[in-house]
Amino acid sequence: MKTSTAYKLLGLLFGAGFGFVLAAANLHEYDTIHNMLRLEEFDVFLLMGAAIGTSLPLLWWLEKRNAKTALAGTLTLSRSKPTRQHVAGGALFGVGWAVSGTCPAPALVMLVSGAGLAIITIIGLFVGLNLRDRQVAKLAGATTAADGEHRTLARTS
Amino acid sequence: MSSTTFAVLLPDRLPWYLAGPALGLLVVGFFLVTNQPLGASGAYVETYKTVTRKPGAATWRMFYFLGIPIGGFVGVMLKEDGFVRRAGYDALRDELPLGVTALIVLVGAVVMGYGARMAGGCTSGHGICGTAQRSPASWVATCTFMGAAVIMTRFIRIVSGGAI
Repeated sequence: MKTSTAYKLLGLLFGAGFGFVLAAANLHEYDTIHNMLRLEEFDVFLLMGAAIGTSLPLLWWLEKRNAKTALAGTLTLSRSKPTRQHVAGGALFGVGWAVSGTCPAPALVMLVSGAGLAIITIIGLFVGLNLRDRQVAKLAGATTAADGEHRTLARTS
Repeated sequence: MSSTTFAVLLPDRLPWYLAGPALGLLVVGFFLVTNQPLGASGAYVETYKTVTRKPGAATWRMFYFLGIPIGGFVGVMLKEDGFVRRAGYDALRDELPLGVTALIVLVGAVVMGYGARMAGGCTSGHGICGTAQRSPASWVATCTFMGAAVIMTRFIRIVSGGAI
């Protein structure tokens, strides 16, 4: 199988796994997120803590062992220094998250659970992401270090 | 309202101590295969680039983007509530007309998207994948958006006289 095909299938598979867990944990419901942010239910905070608590030590251990990934050489983790953009962007993201009661991945699950208004959330997300890209291109500014997003890796394997 | 399900195999809400580690293992598994984090806002960006045929688009991220609603749909269909055609945002619509709700949701989503791109990630990117890599930038972004969201929710509660 071609590597590019393998990436597409893996993307589909892990995306489906991610979406499945979001649906199972009810994270696609406005009320789940809203009640969490109202500090009335702490399940979602615990869920995030448990997700980090599982992945952080495992990735640390794998990094120490110079673990080989299946398709892209030795495991490399990204650790960037915080900048003003991380704080300002984070604050804006938090405000928008509170208003729309969902975030990028759960919004997709919200739509397929039958909630029609989620299409507006998804369109709004595309518009907002694109607005920022246009602004950065116009100002010829540097993009923010995105340690959790897609990155271009030097092919090592 | 009628709902559709395949079969009721999942509880109403999978407890955090199962769902959290499951997400964590997906993150680790994705790293072990592709050496990539699985942030969702970046997947939106790559999907947009792929669809508009921008150079350098990571096309396979679009497959990740498409996988989320596919897996989500299966998850929804295995729950008692199942798939229910509705507007959604019931808590907002109880207080506001549909048009106003739609406008508020749209503005919120634009601000959220802009902020995510400015911050370099969202709840999955910085909040789980970045923090798990022990990235200081991700920890700062995550603490900031958590704090901002709690404060904004409090503000909404005060403005709506406790209704929302």
